[in-house]
Amino acid sequence: MKTIPVGVAAAAVAISLVLTACTATPPAPTASSSGTTAPKASVLRVWAGSSTPITVDFNPFHVDTALFGTYGPIYEPLFFYNQLSADPPTPMLGETFAYSADGRTVTIKLKPNLKWSDGEPLTADDVVFTLGYGPNKSDKLTSVTATDATTVGAKYSTPQFTNESQLLGATMIVPKHVWSKVANYMKETNPKPVGSGAYVVKTTSDASYTLTANADYRDGPPPISDVQYLGLDSNQSGQDMLTTGQIDWTGMFVANPDTVTGDGAIATMNAQQDPTVIVTCSDAAKGCKGAQTDPAVRQALNAAIDRPALAEKAWAGLVGEANPAFVLLPRDQQWLSDPALAPSPQSPNAAQAQQILEAAGYAKDAKGFYAKDGKEVDLDLFSPDGWTDYNDAAKLIAEEAGKAGVKVTARTVSEAEYWTPVTNGDFQLAMYGLTQSLVADPFSNYDQYFYGKSTAKVGDAPTRGQNYARYANGVVDAAVEAAGATNDPAAKKAEYAKIQAQIAKDLPYIPVVLNASQAFFNTKGFTGWPTNDNLYADPLPYLSVAPAIVLLHLKPVS
Amino acid sequence: MVFYLRRIAFYLVTLWAAISLNFLLPRMMPGDPAAIMIGKLRRASGGRELSEETVKAIYALLGADKSVPAWDQYLAYWGRLLSGDLGVSSTRYPYPVATLIGNALPWTLLMVGAATVISFVLGIVIGAWVGWKRGTWLDHLVPATSLLQSIPYFWLALVLVAAFSVQLRWLPIVGAYDVFAFPSGPEWSWDFMVSALYHAFLPALTIVISSVGGWLLGMRNMMVSTMSEDYVLTAEAKGLRPSRIRDRYAARNAAIPSLAGFSIALGFVVAGSIVTEQVFSYPGIGKLMIQSVQGLDYALMQGVFLVITLTVLAANFLMDLFYGLIDPRVRSHG
Amino acid sequence: MADRYASIRYLLPKWSGKLGAGLVIVGLISAFGVIAPFFTADPRDSGNKGLLAPSAGHLLGTTKLGYDVFAQLAAGTRGSLYVGLVGGLSAMLLAIVFGIIAGYFGGWLDEVLMLATNIMLVIPGLPLVMVIAAYVQNAEGLGDFARSSTLVALILGITGWAGSAVVLRAQARSLRTREYVAAARVAGESGLRVIFVEILPNLVPLIAAQLIFGVMAAVLGEAGLSYLGLGPTNSITLGTMLNDAQTGQAVGSRAWWWFVPPGALIALLGTGLALVNFAIDEIVNPKLRLAPQAARLQRKATKEGKGVAGGGAFA
Repeated sequence: MKTIPVGVAAAAVAISLVLTACTATPPAPTASSSGTTAPKASVLRVWAGSSTPITVDFNPFHVDTALFGTYGPIYEPLFFYNQLSADPPTPMLGETFAYSADGRTVTIKLKPNLKWSDGEPLTADDVVFTLGYGPNKSDKLTSVTATDATTVGAKYSTPQFTNESQLLGATMIVPKHVWSKVANYMKETNPKPVGSGAYVVKTTSDASYTLTANADYRDGPPPISDVQYLGLDSNQSGQDMLTTGQIDWTGMFVANPDTVTGDGAIATMNAQQDPTVIVTCSDAAKGCKGAQTDPAVRQALNAAIDRPALAEKAWAGLVGEANPAFVLLPRDQQWLSDPALAPSPQSPNAAQAQQILEAAGYAKDAKGFYAKDGKEVDLDLFSPDGWTDYNDAAKLIAEEAGKAGVKVTARTVSEAEYWTPVTNGDFQLAMYGLTQSLVADPFSNYDQYFYGKSTAKVGDAPTRGQNYARYANGVVDAAVEAAGATNDPAAKKAEYAKIQAQIAKDLPYIPVVLNASQAFFNTKGFTGWPTNDNLYADPLPYLSVAPAIVLLHLKPVS
Repeated sequence: MVFYLRRIAFYLVTLWAAISLNFLLPRMMPGDPAAIMIGKLRRASGGRELSEETVKAIYALLGADKSVPAWDQYLAYWGRLLSGDLGVSSTRYPYPVATLIGNALPWTLLMVGAATVISFVLGIVIGAWVGWKRGTWLDHLVPATSLLQSIPYFWLALVLVAAFSVQLRWLPIVGAYDVFAFPSGPEWSWDFMVSALYHAFLPALTIVISSVGGWLLGMRNMMVSTMSEDYVLTAEAKGLRPSRIRDRYAARNAAIPSLAGFSIALGFVVAGSIVTEQVFSYPGIGKLMIQSVQGLDYALMQGVFLVITLTVLAANFLMDLFYGLIDPRVRSHG
Repeated sequence: MADRYASIRYLLPKWSGKLGAGLVIVGLISAFGVIAPFFTADPRDSGNKGLLAPSAGHLLGTTKLGYDVFAQLAAGTRGSLYVGLVGGLSAMLLAIVFGIIAGYFGGWLDEVLMLATNIMLVIPGLPLVMVIAAYVQNAEGLGDFARSSTLVALILGITGWAGSAVVLRAQARSLRTREYVAAARVAGESGLRVIFVEILPNLVPLIAAQLIFGVMAAVLGEAGLSYLGLGPTNSITLGTMLNDAQTGQAVGSRAWWWFVPPGALIALLGTGLALVNFAIDEIVNPKLRLAPQAARLQRKATKEGKGVAGGGAFA
């Protein structure tokens, strides 16, 4: 009898097993790998940016690791602030609010008959508890009380006009009866959250988690019964899943959106908001080293960059125009003091850059680069690995600066190696993204990034704010403080005019472009998405709170 | 007997060396994981100040206590290891590293283990056949497998995904199982196993394609050498059937050096599997390794490196024992 | 007189189709990498439009940022060959030290070196490289060097020598028992001199094979590291080209002219090196060349009816 070698037999078994696996149709109650778009049950499949393995964390105090859906669908704030418009905020848990004339007292009236997802009533006590708990507790808060079951009064030691969206729109209200029993809120992962929102947690796994409609939601259960958030590890996978119809909603950068929207099932929207800048360590007095501490060098770079080429090559033409006043146009048009400031120069002007440098005492050396006092200007520009748009932009910026005679070397570093030097001021130039103000008022841009108290000397991390450019300007500081203390638009505009004039002259952050935020969503299977005529919320699934508003507007196409 | 004792002793020493290396490396690495995490938290909270207790809590969990001498830290590290405490991940805070690894390891063992075995068996079988048919056109098969082996692994994987998963939609794009059909995660059901096999097919295929060439070449060369040994000639002179000569006399002896070279080849398989898991978003420990290195999550990096080393050591140890079993020469004067 | 060259001829590979093909491929690629960069456009000039298909002006089109792909390919080949050579040579040197010295001297030196080699062998390569690369690239004070191709090549070299060391040690052990080695020792030559003069020359084919293997491993290792973001991002190599193509969504943009050539070139280089390696294998183990030849002759004779007993092991 001919004996078959064991190896061949084993191989045959293995191969036949595998073949069985791939010929057997994988069970798919929803259209998974076969590529059709409309799901049968109303499950909305989302990729908000989670990577695998998904670690369950619905703790709203874990601002960097809490899973998407915690802010908005599960927990809600008092009001919803739509960052795309200048409209007044929409009531969520709160009904109305009022600031005292000096801005030190806030009175909030809640909606009546609110409930938590476990059936307990949601009252002013919960709001009082939330405002005084853990990271929410501001050291400026002197007292917060519940004057009755639906009214909360909070008193502060300083005017709070500029904290309105933070307090009312970004503080998730948590149940007192749950969190008063939590020993350490930093260690708590909150796997079964009790929230007030339209969704509760159904199931979780390593690769995805599903939220299901809260039947007791105050406005009735939402029309979309289940929302499944996936974990994916690369933008390429996200794009592939979109084109094969396996996800319905995502926010990611796709260089050629036509490949995704081509067959008409997926629509896209691109709201350009966050300024991409070159952050410079700008103040030698604070310990910054390098030629970038000289405003003339920064102005020269500003003139030498070819912004349209950057927009086209590094961002596939999907970005908007930035301006040195850091005012988002057209939303914040009323706050722009000098129309000449907007936008940043949209064509490279090497000649002008050279004029600026020569006027400041620089001269070209033998290699064709500018130098002063015998020292060649040699600037180091870095960006994190994997952030392709920043890396591409850095390469192109280095080339364009070189053409104008300023030597810039672009390099990439690991992500951790990016944040630490930027935070500590241990850098010369870096690609960076500012977060645009979430309300129709550029105050937070100035406060976070330009205010003297938001910075620290080189070697220390700022304790509040994100002024990593180490910028400190007395005029700007006084104007920021004055603007923060008043609610009068005319007074604020006057202060902003002073700020804008200073920062456009000093350019501690050199504006590059206004970064794209592309959203892709399934219009064949679901209706009710925001449109350009009706931008009721920004359709990006990774934002705080806005996704909840979008989910409440959506309906499945039957 | 001495052979086995020597091997066991060797593996214990290697284990100790690997664990000590594992202890040293992150301590030599720059960057303070606690500071990195605090930075992330501040950015995520929009520049708001962090409360004192938050900062203290993070340092308590992640900060390295520089006041304790290194030797005490080393002993404490051993103590924690033996009780299964591999620390807390900073990128996936507050999950313990052991949990993350425990969830990921079975997937890697399943997919990579199966792919390695299939690749090994295929390589040996086809290599034996090519060696048997030496001098014919089959010899030209060998450069073809060399070509496959020289293709950069992730390039091959990306091309296959683009072709089979996106373009033709025959195979899934990512994942270890169908997340839409199993939203609560893995379960013990026939449907789930089928889904898992379906999803493991393409990643395993890419590993097999790129590693089968090595086994094939080694086996073919050994086969050709073995075929010219005297005992093969004797077997032929005895009038035995060609297939019997091929299997019982030549292939069995030719396969032995391939087993001996298993440890070297396994290193390549581990390397390939790391990139595989990244391309296919396969939830194994290779992907955890990449994420930990990119996020400078030292506790996770240490833990994954240790587990990978232990797994490879275990595989090598088993292979050594097996090798000692089948080749008496090694036992007598190892 | 002719005998002087006999020993060298004995060491050189015999001519065959495979060797010829291999040498031609490797030679062409090396020439491309060394000479072509002088004649192509500047690979770091982004003045062109992005993602142009191949045309007369750009033989292989342009990348997303407007770099000429052909120019990048030439510079990348040069970069990859550099990484391959540095990595392969450093691995070979370490393998010689750990393998031959251990094999020749024996005793406790052998035990210690073999322990180190075996430890390096079983500790998995890529994770170790990743951890070392992450450490080194984040270390302060290295500045530009941290991401240079030299450093990456060195890291690949010092983690890749263990396999070759084992092979060389086995050979050195067997050679140490030869008569001419004994003769040299009796004549009073020091150990190291014996190694250099008597043993190394006989191992040249083996070392050459290991070197070729090491070069290929370094080139592929660099490609893998670049994909993971740990590669020499400041240089242009085939690996960084592939990484740029992958992060620049070349596959999604159907820009095959950007994505395919670097990978194909690496594969071709590997195949060429492997073909040369086959020829070298045949020197080390002449049976690999003689046996297939003999089998072919046997089969031919059988077909013509001149064979004996109809095949058998040569069927």
